[in-house]
Amino acid sequence: MSPATPFERMLITGARLLPDGAVAFVGFHWPMLIARIARRLAAPNLIVVYEDGIVEDRLTPLLPTSPSDLAAAVGSPCCAGSLESLFMWLAGGRVEWTLLEAPIVDRRGNVNTTAIGDYQHPTVRLPGSGGGTELASFGRGLVLISASTARRSYPEQVDYVTSPGYLAGAGERERLGYMPGRGPQLLVNPLGLFEFADEELRPRALHPGVTDGDGRATGGWPMAVGEGVPRLPEPTEEELAVARAEIGNARDRYYRVPSS
Amino acid sequence: MDSPRDGLSKPILSMRDAVQEFVADGDEVLLGGFAYGDPFAFAHELIRQRRRRLRVIKGSGGVLVDQLIGAGCIDQLLFCHVWNSVGPEPAHCFRRAVEHQRPARLAVEEMSFGAFSAALIAGACRFPFMPSTPIGGAGHFVQRGDGFLADTFATVASPFDGRPVTVVAPLRPKLGIFHVQRADRLGNGQLSGPTSETRFAAAACERVLLVAEELVETDVVRQRPELTAIPSFLVDGIVVEPWAAHPTDSHGYYWRDLEHHRLYAEMSKTEDGFAAYVDQWIIATGNHEGVRRKLGEARTRSLMARPEVWW
Repeated sequence: MSPATPFERMLITGARLLPDGAVAFVGFHWPMLIARIARRLAAPNLIVVYEDGIVEDRLTPLLPTSPSDLAAAVGSPCCAGSLESLFMWLAGGRVEWTLLEAPIVDRRGNVNTTAIGDYQHPTVRLPGSGGGTELASFGRGLVLISASTARRSYPEQVDYVTSPGYLAGAGERERLGYMPGRGPQLLVNPLGLFEFADEELRPRALHPGVTDGDGRATGGWPMAVGEGVPRLPEPTEEELAVARAEIGNARDRYYRVPSS
Repeated sequence: MDSPRDGLSKPILSMRDAVQEFVADGDEVLLGGFAYGDPFAFAHELIRQRRRRLRVIKGSGGVLVDQLIGAGCIDQLLFCHVWNSVGPEPAHCFRRAVEHQRPARLAVEEMSFGAFSAALIAGACRFPFMPSTPIGGAGHFVQRGDGFLADTFATVASPFDGRPVTVVAPLRPKLGIFHVQRADRLGNGQLSGPTSETRFAAAACERVLLVAEELVETDVVRQRPELTAIPSFLVDGIVVEPWAAHPTDSHGYYWRDLEHHRLYAEMSKTEDGFAAYVDQWIIATGNHEGVRRKLGEARTRSLMARPEVWW
């Protein structure tokens, strides 16, 4: 088997975080693939909740293209609505893990999926929030997922806070009435696993072959990298086989999959 | 058999008549659906009848909103997101409108999906506001109140412990269009699968038009009353239109048409390509039955989630 690509390592690292039997709120895109890989490996009893109210507690025959693709509802034990999913289950703390894609994320874990540049006159208009704001505001065990290692994906400060992280830091979330104990905990990208320490993003463990310098260079700010950042274990053959099978499913289901 | 409840029946309209009777230029309309059950057949008729200056409210924007923007039907949009969720691909018309004011300037106002749901609950209940997702310091809190509502969000002190609470203003759309799997003549709209914000949205709207895959007897409705997400007394009219949500999916009836989402993403990359899409799939087809014919039987068969033909 050829060695794991950084993208495959990202998927596997995310999947390893989800314990068997956990309740996870899964946002659009790669979080869905990660949850599916976790279910096929160590977490067959994972309970996944989507923003439209679908509960998914086993492997669906097809990979859904989005949480509202009703391929996600095949064999579902419960289909409710947004009041249940976003407020009663997510805000209510019934969900233990929350996976949110963060294509542009800053030093404090604020995520922008709305606009690049000035909001009124953006250079690039992105899709907007959907339920992303709720995942970031309410989600317990919030894990951000980014398939990018480009510097522009990690600005010091995002142009628009779609999904609030620690805002400007120094306890601002709590002062503004956010629920205590929520907010981004981890970030998974192709370089490894990052954490928020003192409300600031920094590497926790990197993949073999990734240098501390690579990790530091990700951020558009002087990222703190502690002494002796550990290295993550290599993916097992089984993990890699499952990840590759699911990437194949993603291609079949019209996902745009990174080439490397 | 039910005794006929003549006089209680709701008007059953063709899509053409429904758009003529329910929507005028400049009107406000909430379009239901959540990238499944999007009322495409209705939106296409808006495009055919060249409705202009509409003020559209749509939680999950998607391809449907993109088409209405590209066709120049919308002046003002309240939404949670707009994109082509298969791929995902950008919503090209939406981007052209916001980035380059083409084909025209689009006024946008946005909320997160939870806040949107809470605003509709407030509207449905005639509450002055609803507590909602804490979003102080976030973009939607800063950039707010550009048209549909004088203001969207505020922070108030909880009367019980003094802590700050984010609240959202009520939304009471003038008209709502909702795709349902089946309806009876009384106007009971039945939905299976996830319901997203449908229940609160329908109750928040002043008038409601159902677009049903099929019309059934009230006896059939009574067998599964819990499926009635929109009860008759909220409803003002019914259109029966099979495959009305294509290319999105309808639970238990048909799957999302991924190939068509890809086709639209390709064609809508340029303004000329988008115009060709409108010509081929909306204008030349004449009506939604024409869209179904253009898709062809092999294609509709492959998308069917129901074993038997319901139309």
